[in-house]
Amino acid sequence: MTYHTLLFILTAAAAVAAVMMKDLLMSALMLALVSVGASLILFDFQAPWAAVFELSVCAGLITVLFVSAVSLIRREENKLEDNRMRFYAMPLVMGLAAIAAWFYAVPFFESLENWARFGGRVNSLGAVLWDIRRFDLLGQISILAAGVFVINSIFPRRKKQK
Amino acid sequence: MTNSFALDWYFITLIFTAGLYCMLVSRNLLRQLIGLEIMSKSALLGVISAGALTGNLALAQALIITMIVIEVVIVAAGLSLLVKNYRLTNSIDIWSLDKLRG
Repeated sequence: MTYHTLLFILTAAAAVAAVMMKDLLMSALMLALVSVGASLILFDFQAPWAAVFELSVCAGLITVLFVSAVSLIRREENKLEDNRMRFYAMPLVMGLAAIAAWFYAVPFFESLENWARFGGRVNSLGAVLWDIRRFDLLGQISILAAGVFVINSIFPRRKKQK
Repeated sequence: MTNSFALDWYFITLIFTAGLYCMLVSRNLLRQLIGLEIMSKSALLGVISAGALTGNLALAQALIITMIVIEVVIVAAGLSLLVKNYRLTNSIDIWSLDKLRG
């Protein structure tokens, strides 16, 4: 078993743990572990820029956001009676999915591989990001502005009471 | 033993299934967001795996950076909606969102 496969197994196990944990805080931390696993996989694929972004933003910033949200709704956590039986049934569902995917999805993915067309004329991230996908940057900036607008409109500044 | 690409995508399918199951069975808004995050992680791994197969790693990295930015905005907006909804209705149940009052 290679290091690469081991990383994928770690990420999948962390994803299952994130879903199954009863405590929301532990779920958020397991989600951070999924992000760390994904970032290690990206490093293994020789994609350091994306890995650094993933590690700093997803494992860092999003975890902080989740933990702060959990701390804000802490009292409510135990009141909501989720049906725990569904979560306990998850290993069974995942096992069935794993068996079905092994027999049905893997041959499909192997056939997909024959359709791969090799590209890669430009092999530097800067050239791709600034020249070829320049329009994406406009989209990123506008979606960041939209996010700021959403948060600003959800939490308006309180007016001074006279 | 199957080759690396198909094996990668096998695990990506499993991670996606975990996120989808989380979104299907839970009524907790925070868990819905966690399931969404797990699904988007699997999509990210799919992009990088396909990029490595076709020798297009630079393009895959550019797409992943875009995906991560969008993901952060979605999570920030979703969590702010969750906190606001909790302050208004004192509940984090997803069915408390069905009252369309301004």
